[in-house]
Amino acid sequence: MADAGGSPTAIYLDHGATSWPKPPEVVDAVTRSLTEFGGNPGRGAYRLALDTARAIHSARADIAHYFGVEDSRNLIFQPGCTQAMNLVLMGLFKPGDRIVAGGTEHNAVARPLNLLASRGVEVILVEPDEDGVVDPDEVEAAVEAAPTAAIVCQHASNLAGGIHPVADLSDIAHSHGALMIVDGAQAGGHLRVNLAELGVDVWACAGHKGLLGPQGIGVLYLAPGCEPAELVSGGTGSGQSEEPLQPKGRPDRYEAGTPNTPGILGLGAAVNWLGTHGDELRAEEARLTRMMHEGLLEIEGFRVLGPESEVPRVPIVSAVHDSVEVDRIAFALDRRYGIATRGGLHCAPWAHRASGTLETGALRFGIGYGNTVADIERTLEAVAQIVAEER
Amino acid sequence: MSRDLREFVVFGFNSTHDALDAEAVLTDMGVEVVPVPAPAALSARCGIALRVPSDEADRARRYFARIEINPTSEAEIADI
Repeated sequence: MADAGGSPTAIYLDHGATSWPKPPEVVDAVTRSLTEFGGNPGRGAYRLALDTARAIHSARADIAHYFGVEDSRNLIFQPGCTQAMNLVLMGLFKPGDRIVAGGTEHNAVARPLNLLASRGVEVILVEPDEDGVVDPDEVEAAVEAAPTAAIVCQHASNLAGGIHPVADLSDIAHSHGALMIVDGAQAGGHLRVNLAELGVDVWACAGHKGLLGPQGIGVLYLAPGCEPAELVSGGTGSGQSEEPLQPKGRPDRYEAGTPNTPGILGLGAAVNWLGTHGDELRAEEARLTRMMHEGLLEIEGFRVLGPESEVPRVPIVSAVHDSVEVDRIAFALDRRYGIATRGGLHCAPWAHRASGTLETGALRFGIGYGNTVADIERTLEAVAQIVAEER
Repeated sequence: MSRDLREFVVFGFNSTHDALDAEAVLTDMGVEVVPVPAPAALSARCGIALRVPSDEADRARRYFARIEINPTSEAEIADI
């Protein structure tokens, strides 16, 4: 493998993209999935396959419990949040339908919505306020303007970290006969999420970000009665194989093909870890996020996007500098200091457009498991040094 | 060598998930339950089924109803 040069990553601040490292319990669970649970779950009644199926069944129950989902059949495993949102959006809507969507959606939602729009679905965007979150009154006005099939909104912004009023939006949707569909990619793990209390119809989340699981696994919650067409058909290992079409029962309808056992068991271990340590971790994330936010504002030339530092948010801080390009700062942080951050558009052109940063991009610090006060202090020192040299 | 055959009822389910939910409740309630490959006698010929002794089948059906899981099919078999 070619050596890219520079410093090895010493401080990881890209948790918004994926969490790293993982709790040891997650690593152990993935290892055990490969050593003890190597059968094909649901594809046989011999001991190894049964043990694997039971391990997945148990992980599903744990994850459902973590999110307040009463019937774990409604908690569906997907390769990630992107695939889950594609399943829902492509599986529910047809030409002539009308969708009201937040104006800061990630491309996991924006691109499927654009595709639907090209096929005759009307998509109305509600622009966010100065904190980067949508105003429920504006959403309601958009919904009231014409019969609406669904409100689609992310739970929290992957650019500015703002938390959208999802519970309020859910009430608005249901009072107008619409579905409430939520991309929870940045919320899971970083926020306490109880889906029964939120009252949403759809909520999806990557397993590898704030939930601290492995990459390649995500969850999709579908409320009873919300029945998108399946995106993928195929073997389920159970039911009636001679039937020509996909069975309608959950979770099998949406889980064709051999499951990602290492991902599922790793994610199960991760949510169990969060169940024990999550409150402590979230408190530390909030403290470090505020420290990063306020520290950046003390460096001349920085503007931090989104909410003020004291406003609750997910642990993301994105900023722009008035004279030094963000990609240069990110590159120098990596090469010279071994600090991993992410400059650019973060797959979120809509959010950048709303923030006025579509041309410049932003420098994003994603904080999470494993980060310390010393990490933030060292990063702020490095950023200050870089911009002082580059100005 | 002769083998004594016993009478069992085998239940088929919509999904592995339902079968494992059913297995868990039967185990908790002390029913002698064994997951088996779904036999041809069931219309469900893929995945797993649950085998219980015939004299415990009614009890099993009551527990299934309690957790709102309906077997898709059932059959009587003789097995060791």
